[in-house]
Amino acid sequence: MRDTFWDRIYGLAKRDKNLVLIDADMGAPSLDKFRIDFNGRQYFSTGIAEQSMIALASGLAKEGKKVFTYAIAPFITSRCHEFTKLNCGLMKIPINLVGVGPGFSYDDSGPTHHLTEDISIMRAIPNLEIYCPSDNPAAEALAEKMYYSKNPTYIRLDREILPDLSGRDESLVRGFREFGKGDLAIVSTGNMVHTALEAKTHYSGKGIQIGVIDLHQLKPLSKEFKKNISQYKNLVSLEEHILDGGLGSIIAETIVDNDLPVKLKKRIGLSDYIYAYGGRENIQKSCGIDTSSVINKIDEFIN
Amino acid sequence: MEKEQIIKLQRKANDLRKDTLNMCIEAGTGHVTSSFSCAEILTTLYSGNILNYKYNNPEWDERDRFILSKGQASPILYVALTNAGFFSKDWLKTFCKKDAKFGVHLQNTVPGVEYSTGSLGHGLGLGTGVALRAKIDKKNYHTFVLLGDAELHEGSNWESAMFASSHNLNNLTAIVDRNGYGVLGATENIVKLNPLEKKFKSFGWDVKTIDGHSVKEIYEATNNFRGYKEDKPLMIIAETVKGKGIKSWENKALVHGMAPKGKDIKKLEEELEVYSSRGEYE
Repeated sequence: MRDTFWDRIYGLAKRDKNLVLIDADMGAPSLDKFRIDFNGRQYFSTGIAEQSMIALASGLAKEGKKVFTYAIAPFITSRCHEFTKLNCGLMKIPINLVGVGPGFSYDDSGPTHHLTEDISIMRAIPNLEIYCPSDNPAAEALAEKMYYSKNPTYIRLDREILPDLSGRDESLVRGFREFGKGDLAIVSTGNMVHTALEAKTHYSGKGIQIGVIDLHQLKPLSKEFKKNISQYKNLVSLEEHILDGGLGSIIAETIVDNDLPVKLKKRIGLSDYIYAYGGRENIQKSCGIDTSSVINKIDEFIN
Repeated sequence: MEKEQIIKLQRKANDLRKDTLNMCIEAGTGHVTSSFSCAEILTTLYSGNILNYKYNNPEWDERDRFILSKGQASPILYVALTNAGFFSKDWLKTFCKKDAKFGVHLQNTVPGVEYSTGSLGHGLGLGTGVALRAKIDKKNYHTFVLLGDAELHEGSNWESAMFASSHNLNNLTAIVDRNGYGVLGATENIVKLNPLEKKFKSFGWDVKTIDGHSVKEIYEATNNFRGYKEDKPLMIIAETVKGKGIKSWENKALVHGMAPKGKDIKKLEEELEVYSSRGEYE
């Protein structure tokens, strides 16, 4: 997904000399050609210095450059949050933040490298668009969306290689995709969409049809999304993210603010940081957000 | 620079101080002492033919960029911008009022202001971006950043300082208003900044230390930037006095961020009058 994203940006950079990439000493195979082809003109590195990266990018962007910045997700969000607040929120300077490794992507690296509060803190910044793709087609579509956007943007790219859920279709433009229908839908984002789809398969085997909504545009929400969730009787939100201010909060707020008839039955997510190892699935299990834990939580009310 | 011109600019700096003091007294707030330490620096940049700008076209692409990183000194920059013609002097009367055009910290919606600052440690990073863009696009404008000295405690400055020298940004000049004081007292009693000159040199900058209240020295340090041959960014350490011009508030801790009130008003106005008319120019 990361390479798909950067390949698309590389293609755009080839034809747009105004596009600049700045990284904070963060590599990816697809970025090697950026360094070789664009070094010193469209590619720079600040070293491990996210604050100065955001400030540098903002100075360039205010002067008319289309700037993408790149670092490990916890450091491009939390570490330099106030710089992003001022540049993107207050001054509306349209820089693009690309973070790799949200949630437990960096599984065994431990909680210093986990990122489970970025949706909460980044969506508190006015004017900032927030994206979270769940597969390659979404990552590619969002790369283009960010490039053409006139607003500041933030995208959280999972580090894991996730299977494609669909081809490039129109649903990617409207900010969400829907898989199946039923009285209940699980709303999720990023890698957890795949967990939601596993739960869907489980219920399908039991003769119960549920929907899964992949919300890859977390901010701003489209009108179609609000209309779409109103078709369901019940919703469950699922995220590899702290519950305070995350995806579940987005859904709850949307229901209340728009007086929607749908009910949010449960928010499934995290409540604390965790030291757990043995791979991502094991960490998710420890926190109660792996597929069987999700099914158990839904079973509490679905039957 | 001719002596006559120096005297004219020194007087102008004191006029900026007077307007700044009036504005802050009227509002009952504003960082008077932080403004006063950089009065000559702003005067020389804006009125001494250093900065290239068009007051009636603030976004003119060829303008030199001036970034006030110590955004708490906004009152004196607003006065300087009024003087330069960017907006009406009437705006100064609205400072921090209900119908205000601007408040205590610098606001980029005001003509002539590049960025909203006041969150310290931000301006130098922005300046590196602005200067880097000029390098990429082969633009001739120069970027100036005015830093407070106490804001150098913010590590972000040093990140940006390393980047600027790594990329040979010789189209970037930073000036440190080295008044020696933070909020609670002397910077050297808070966390040592000295030896500041050595620090910046070791970070790959060309460094000049000057008297920051001497128009002549400021002019000499800044006027040759278009012919600057070094491949390094330039750091000017301007040694100044916090609150310069109002004797009883000079180098005084705990008057940071304050405007005089009550009996202090008349006292400080008189002190500034005495300072302004002392005739010790150069």
